[in-house]
Amino acid sequence: MEAKPALSIQRSGAGQISNFGASAALSSSFPVLPTPLQETCPKFSDSQHVALNREFMQRPPAVVSPLSSNSGVVGHIFSSSSGFSTDLHFSSVQLQEKHPRQSPFISQSTSSGKSAVLPNSVDSRVLQSTASSQFNKENNDSWCTDTLPDFLDFPMSTTILNGQLDGSNSGGIAIPSEDLSKPNDWQDWADQLITDNDALATDWNGLLADASVADPEPKASYQISQQSTSVSTQQPHISQQLSVPGTPGEICTNGGQSSSANAAPGKQRMRWTPELHEAFVEAVNKLGGSERATPKGVLKLMKVEGLTIYHVKSHLQKYRTARYKPETTEGATRFNLFAINSMLFMFLDHFSSSFPVQTVKSMMVCSCVTSSASFNVRVKLLSFPLLQVIEFFFFSFVVFSVMESSEKKPASIDELSSLDLKTGIEITEALRLQMEVQKRLHEQLEIQRNLQLRIEEQGRYLQMMFEKQCKSGVDLLKGSSSASENPSKESTDDKVQNSSAKDNLVLDADKKETKGETAKTSGETSLLAAEKQKAVLENSEASVGGTSDLPPTKRAKVDE
Amino acid sequence: MVNGSLDYGKAEAEFMYLLNNEIDKFNAFFMEQEEDFVIRHKELPQRIQKVIDKWGPNGTQPSEMEYKEEMAKIRKEIVNFHGEMVLLMNYSNVNYTGLAKILKKYDKRTGGVLRLPVIQKVLEQPFFTTDLISKLVKECETTIESVFPPLRKKRNGGKMAVPGEGIFKNTVAALLTMQEIRRGSSTYSHFSLPPLNLPDFDVIQSLQVPSPIPIP
Repeated sequence: MEAKPALSIQRSGAGQISNFGASAALSSSFPVLPTPLQETCPKFSDSQHVALNREFMQRPPAVVSPLSSNSGVVGHIFSSSSGFSTDLHFSSVQLQEKHPRQSPFISQSTSSGKSAVLPNSVDSRVLQSTASSQFNKENNDSWCTDTLPDFLDFPMSTTILNGQLDGSNSGGIAIPSEDLSKPNDWQDWADQLITDNDALATDWNGLLADASVADPEPKASYQISQQSTSVSTQQPHISQQLSVPGTPGEICTNGGQSSSANAAPGKQRMRWTPELHEAFVEAVNKLGGSERATPKGVLKLMKVEGLTIYHVKSHLQKYRTARYKPETTEGATRFNLFAINSMLFMFLDHFSSSFPVQTVKSMMVCSCVTSSASFNVRVKLLSFPLLQVIEFFFFSFVVFSVMESSEKKPASIDELSSLDLKTGIEITEALRLQMEVQKRLHEQLEIQRNLQLRIEEQGRYLQMMFEKQCKSGVDLLKGSSSASENPSKESTDDKVQNSSAKDNLVLDADKKETKGETAKTSGETSLLAAEKQKAVLENSEASVGGTSDLPPTKRAKVDE
Repeated sequence: MVNGSLDYGKAEAEFMYLLNNEIDKFNAFFMEQEEDFVIRHKELPQRIQKVIDKWGPNGTQPSEMEYKEEMAKIRKEIVNFHGEMVLLMNYSNVNYTGLAKILKKYDKRTGGVLRLPVIQKVLEQPFFTTDLISKLVKECETTIESVFPPLRKKRNGGKMAVPGEGIFKNTVAALLTMQEIRRGSSTYSHFSLPPLNLPDFDVIQSLQVPSPIPIP
């Protein structure tokens, strides 16, 4: 088993044979381990190590023992690959240099040694701003020694890593065992990763098309795409930040994990807009309907930049499900089950006199078992369906009792049909109520979202003002502008309570100066100005909230 | 001193790493659901049209019973569809609130300045840009108006039929939770949302079905 991966690695490596050699040496010679570890430090610029690591990562824990020492190294190397991905985000200029290259992911690896997930580009930007280069360089030297203590934990780390894989992706552990039986995939997958790296400097769209063609297996690719997502996601993120959300075919880079247990999510997550979907539907219809259309054909017809076959595949699957089995969509399922249970209760009440109790009870049990069995496979806890069953019993009982509280008639078909009619009306009324509540929630959410956006705008404005004031404060008052946000915020809170916000800025500044808190003053003056605006903002928001609450109450009255 | 800043940098990087993982999860789930909704949003009007064409009064096989049955099904589905979309928006909002609070707490505990820049980034994330979903919700509402029979002025006595299934329950819970979150707290600042005052608060609270799961 060990020989196979080593062989496949060597077969697939073209210009990177030397590194594969080193890795292969790793896998075969255990006693030599500490030295390769040191050697691999400078070689991390190489994505092949990333490829190797991912291979090892996929091995199930059972096979770990012969590879145990390797996987320890691998486990650690893998964590550094997470930093590698942030690397890609930094300009290609940096890719040429080794030192700065290693430094960002050093901080990554030390912090995230245990996780299999690769970071977002947001992270890399923050790192850029917060982590000083000094810190990175110093860490660089200590990094190689740091690896040894981590290395000692290797049996733990691999299981944890695998566990993380499982925890973060449903069915994560099941997939590696499948992989073992398909050694061919390794080559495809290593190829894929090589093409990833080759394409780094070149066209990303081309890369995606190549990668998609290279890998036929959806499950293997699912795993690959999970782990190699960051490799390809970082570059497009730059374009993503600039693109307008309204344009069709926007590629979003945050596809590090797919929580769906369905088919391959693809290298990146595609944001399907209605326009894009329309183009998709057009293409499908041209090809003769959703059953006959193939993903490849649709992809060709659509001619959208950056769309991969994975995107089309998964979208097509969803489309088919939506068209031909509308009742399997989540919400409808639950409602149908509920409806089944409620109808059952109604029948029970009517027929309980004529049927033996045992039959009735077994009917109830059967219906509940089937309803719970048809729940989404993603539900892991066994007790969960049971709770749902209990819930359904309760809810259906509630509705049933509400609907039937006034009359109980002997069972007959005519009665049933009139009952159905009445139930229908009641159900419609219930639906209307549901709609009202939903609309209310929607309104509130909109308001809240707008508030949040404006608050953040205010925050930015405050920050800007504060910085300006600080600068001028330093010049004028020769005080240190070391006051961070926190003390400023606290002073603002005090102000809010005292509600002296409307005073003249200059007067307040003078007052504060006599207290001798120069730095705080400069902060406060700016905050006072912003505070006025905040007070105005809050008043207007309250009025907005008030006016928007009025229409719902009016509507409710109209309903009645 | 050097060691101190090293540790701080490490801790911050770790924190950001965890945060970004969560953001990735939000985005993945959100976009998955959004895709589903886009598909369903397109399909529903077509289904309605099909039913009208087939079993409607001027259809190919006019059958009042079938028509009523199918329309009832469609009504349920469309209301639930609307509910699901609204709940997705709620998901987005709750997660945003959570992130804001976490960042605020982090800054408070460690004296960091992460909150502002990071939250700016979060605002641009796909899971928070819910404009599309909002648009779909509004369009859904118009479709619902067309599908539902005209409003009846009177209600039967004091009885109120309560839809008890999952989505409705979640919607009620969401509204009440929103009110809870926005209650005045000790850390109320100018970055906090003003308190939410739902006019029908007691009505909504009465709609809340007690949970079968005992909460200690």
